[in-house]
Amino acid sequence: MTAPSTNIPVPAADFRPSLYKTDSRTKRRNAAETRFRAYGIAAVAFGVLALVVLLTSVLSQGLSAFRQTTMVMQVELDPAVLDKTGNRDPAELGKVTTITYGRLLDDALNKELAGKGLIPEGMSARDVSAMISKEAPAQLRKIVLADPSKIGSTISFDAWTGGRIDGFFKGRVTMESAQLDSNVTPEQLQLAQAMRDAGLITMPFNWAFITGPDASEVRPEAAGLGVAILGSAYMMLIVLALALPIGVAASIYLEEFASKNWFTDLIEVNIANLAAVPSIVFGILGLAVFINFAGMPQSSPLVGGLVLTLMTLPTIIISTRAALKAVPPSIKDAALGVGASKTQTIFHHVLPLAMPGILTGTIIGLAQALGETAPLLLIGMVAFVRDYPGAPPEGFLDPASALPVQVYNFTQRADPAFVERASGAIIVLLVFLLAMNILAVILRRKFERRW
Amino acid sequence: MMNDMRLTERVVDATKIKISAKDVQVYYGASHAIKDVNIEILDKTVTAFIGPSGCGKSTFLRCLNRMNDTIPICRVEGKILLDSEDIYDRKVDPVQLRARVGMVFQKPNPFPKSIYDNVSYGPKIHGLTRNKAELDAVVESSLRKAALWNEVKDRLDAPGTGLSGGQQQRLCIARAVATSPEVLLMDEPCSALDPIATAQVEELIDELRTNFSVVIVTHSMQQAARVSQKTAFFHLGNLVEYGDTAQIFTKPSDPRTESYITGRIG
Repeated sequence: MTAPSTNIPVPAADFRPSLYKTDSRTKRRNAAETRFRAYGIAAVAFGVLALVVLLTSVLSQGLSAFRQTTMVMQVELDPAVLDKTGNRDPAELGKVTTITYGRLLDDALNKELAGKGLIPEGMSARDVSAMISKEAPAQLRKIVLADPSKIGSTISFDAWTGGRIDGFFKGRVTMESAQLDSNVTPEQLQLAQAMRDAGLITMPFNWAFITGPDASEVRPEAAGLGVAILGSAYMMLIVLALALPIGVAASIYLEEFASKNWFTDLIEVNIANLAAVPSIVFGILGLAVFINFAGMPQSSPLVGGLVLTLMTLPTIIISTRAALKAVPPSIKDAALGVGASKTQTIFHHVLPLAMPGILTGTIIGLAQALGETAPLLLIGMVAFVRDYPGAPPEGFLDPASALPVQVYNFTQRADPAFVERASGAIIVLLVFLLAMNILAVILRRKFERRW
Repeated sequence: MMNDMRLTERVVDATKIKISAKDVQVYYGASHAIKDVNIEILDKTVTAFIGPSGCGKSTFLRCLNRMNDTIPICRVEGKILLDSEDIYDRKVDPVQLRARVGMVFQKPNPFPKSIYDNVSYGPKIHGLTRNKAELDAVVESSLRKAALWNEVKDRLDAPGTGLSGGQQQRLCIARAVATSPEVLLMDEPCSALDPIATAQVEELIDELRTNFSVVIVTHSMQQAARVSQKTAFFHLGNLVEYGDTAQIFTKPSDPRTESYITGRIG
């Protein structure tokens, strides 16, 4: 057998390099691969590091918001002070102010101190009473007004300490800083430490931070997220109820029914653009259309929900269309082939298969809306709201706050105790976001089917 | 090679015309995909469409139950009569038509649902049964017709997508026959199957002939010779030759047909 004649030079067997030796070209390629891997690892490491730093900073500053320094005391509700007429008339009881209740608390505190043999040395009576939060008399008053039959008895009452005392046990306030601080004296801190040692001061879990309303600038210890959580929940309900059906209906129409022409192209381009519009623009739109033109109430979850719906719609439409597109055409053919109509094909086969994608997109959209701040500032949700909104549907029109706006609010305040509150609020927000993302994963797993 | 296929034993015993196409033209946008096709498809007969890739045989098949309607740029002209009714008449709803002209696709495409739900879907949406017992009976008879009953009768609740490829294709056939169609269109039903599954499906096609008019598109000339009584040869959008399978494979009258079946073109 003769070798085929050819013009291509074939290197003689002797000159072929050994397979055991790596030539320079291969070395360069391997080096490039190694480098690229290193870049990838560096990028991932940077991301993880950023996350760790963020979480550590938020958690270290915010976790203490979930504990509250509290004095446990027995308060004698003296009828001679609280109800001079003696007929428990609510109108009469309502005239008794927090100043009177504050005095009751002062007496109770002094009695507790005397009982434990703690003498407030070098402190005026005013200094001692200043250790109790200014919110405590109001809370005691609320308890009494809610149940006037308690008058005449002695009740156990958990009074919050002032913000500085709270800060002392959380490491924010020290003896040195107290000397420079006009709001607290070192003697107060010493007494507080003695009370803590005697068991008069405890630090239980702070439910009021999650359920309570916001409080004024000078009462950081009383500031809670109740109104904000409720407002955010109402808005999420509105967004879910409006954005999901509208978004899915629009996607189905655009994906399955609409004919392809310049008009649908225009709509498509606009939806993609809307997803990229800065959220504050939606806020201006909400202010102009819903509040100024339609006359809806400011600060209400309804307006907030509508604005967030507009913001979320593009996200839902884009992800729903992607999910619908991903359904294999063979399934559609199969359904049409046995004589299903277009609508039957979509609702019996396409939509169930697209469900995981639709739900994931919706929940991601909702999570985005939950964390959105800018548009809500413009429609008045940044206002200081202390009253809980009512039950839906009327409650949708009541003023409310929202979680991210509440974080913004806290950071605007002067008292350093609000740093802790802001971080605590961020933790609550993150927990909600995490819960929603976990829900998205679970739903995706549940609905996911292979074909 | 063709001698062992007992072509001469094939007798076309039915003469009733089921589908009759007259001057059918199909356009995809500007391109003219099917040109002047005239064909008469008989009842209770297996008719095979053969031809090289892109010759228009699948396109023409999809005209017969108006599946081409789903392609926006596709335009069909001419007349296709099913029992002397024009299926492209404006009064015809393709949904009703497709219940009478069933279809089996190239790739097995069962719904990602249970075997039972796959077969019962057609009868359910067309309201063919009045109660659960009737539906059960339809599912069983359809699976029996598709020669699948014995393999799946104990696991009707199992997902249809969990079956093997050949079983899936027979499930698709069961799904198509469950609406008791008059015509069954098959678009290369065996191209995704192994030889054993192919043999099972081919055997099934021959049995289906007793109840339906079957039209099958195939790339395999052997398959056309094995299963069909009538064969149509398509080339470049034209119906070149149509006749008894035995005649097409032994004495083709058109030189293009002869070139194709002897392997010189296609």
